[in-house]
Amino acid sequence: MHSPMEQFEIKRLLDFKFAGLDVSFTNSSLWMIIAVILATGVFVMGMRQRALVPSRLQSVAEVGYDFIANMVRDNVGEGGKKYFPFILTLFIFILFCNVLGMVPYSFTPTSHIVVTFAMALFIFVGVTVIGLARHGLHFFSLFVPKGVPFVLLLLLVPIEIISYFIRPFSLSIRLFANMLAGHTMLKVFGGFVVMMGLLGGWAPLAFIVVFTGLELLIAFLQAYVFAILTCLYLNDAVHLHH
Amino acid sequence: MRIPVYSALAAGVFALAVSGTAAAASGGMPQLNVHDFVPQLVWLAIAFLLLYLVMARSAVPAIADTLAKRQAKIQGDLDAAEKANEETRALVVAYEKSLADSRENARGVTRQQGEVDATAAAKRLGELHDRLAAQIADAEKRIAKQRDDVMAGLEQMANEIGQGAYAKLAGQSADAGQLGAKIATAIKGGSR
Repeated sequence: MHSPMEQFEIKRLLDFKFAGLDVSFTNSSLWMIIAVILATGVFVMGMRQRALVPSRLQSVAEVGYDFIANMVRDNVGEGGKKYFPFILTLFIFILFCNVLGMVPYSFTPTSHIVVTFAMALFIFVGVTVIGLARHGLHFFSLFVPKGVPFVLLLLLVPIEIISYFIRPFSLSIRLFANMLAGHTMLKVFGGFVVMMGLLGGWAPLAFIVVFTGLELLIAFLQAYVFAILTCLYLNDAVHLHH
Repeated sequence: MRIPVYSALAAGVFALAVSGTAAAASGGMPQLNVHDFVPQLVWLAIAFLLLYLVMARSAVPAIADTLAKRQAKIQGDLDAAEKANEETRALVVAYEKSLADSRENARGVTRQQGEVDATAAAKRLGELHDRLAAQIADAEKRIAKQRDDVMAGLEQMANEIGQGAYAKLAGQSADAGQLGAKIATAIKGGSR
């Protein structure tokens, strides 16, 4: 019986060293690259015709584009236009990693906290830099809610600061934990199927079927949540609205 | 928007508990293996940068261009349709105007022709009337002349009869002048 956590093990497929760093090509790297290749396939091959009446693949690319374009426009506004390619890349990358992780025997790069945290930290630092660059020291007014009595500010400002700095953690743990939990759960119930045998195994199997559908939904939803929270953080930095 | 975010967070916390238990049961999470961090981070950077370049350089401009072209095409077609519609409306207005003009014209022609006809008829009627009047006058003149002739003959005959009767009665011829005057007076009185 395999451990439910075994599916998350990093396996080095090709060993590389660069400047003293271990840059081995792992199963995680493989599925990231597969995600990039497939996404490129949809977005570059699909758009090769640039047809006015789109083919199926082109429709998929356009729907993805429109989905994120609307999200950025609604949540960040005109100021978010130049960050749109980044948000689109972020969404598509996470979506493809998540969904490809549902393929049996594949690997889910987003089920590793180091990956999600790296993305979240990059966004956090990036958003903070953008905010400081656009508004200078005025950026810190983000921590001071408007129209609040001074006494309450003593309480609210520390809370605002903590909630700001907790963003990279909540952002990364949300995605990582969802992926981890879904895959673990599937594995655990898969184990139940084997344990309960031919007679009792049908119940957990039926659960797995339903849960796989739910996991696909979560794979999409988490990519969406990651992208939209990035938009909201970006909106804070660009507009200082709170 | 808030609801999926919070429910996702809740699901995450629940999931963490489940997987934590699983990890504890199997002895350690692969996610916490520090030795695996660097290769993952390096390849994340490579993969993400690759996808970003693909998106920013190729996909986004291609899609933006296509969407703009499609929008322009749709707008152009709509404009063309609107223009055609406008032209049709103008044509209909022009047609109706020409129809009304023709109708007015036809009415004018009819009226004019009627007037011409009426004038001609009146003229012909007048001519007929004149001709008839002339013929009547002619006839009357002829009748008057014939009556005068008849009257003149009658007077002469009366004179002759008077002369004859006087000669038989008196045995001598009468004074022609005196007899004539008397007969003329009698005829005039009788004709009255």
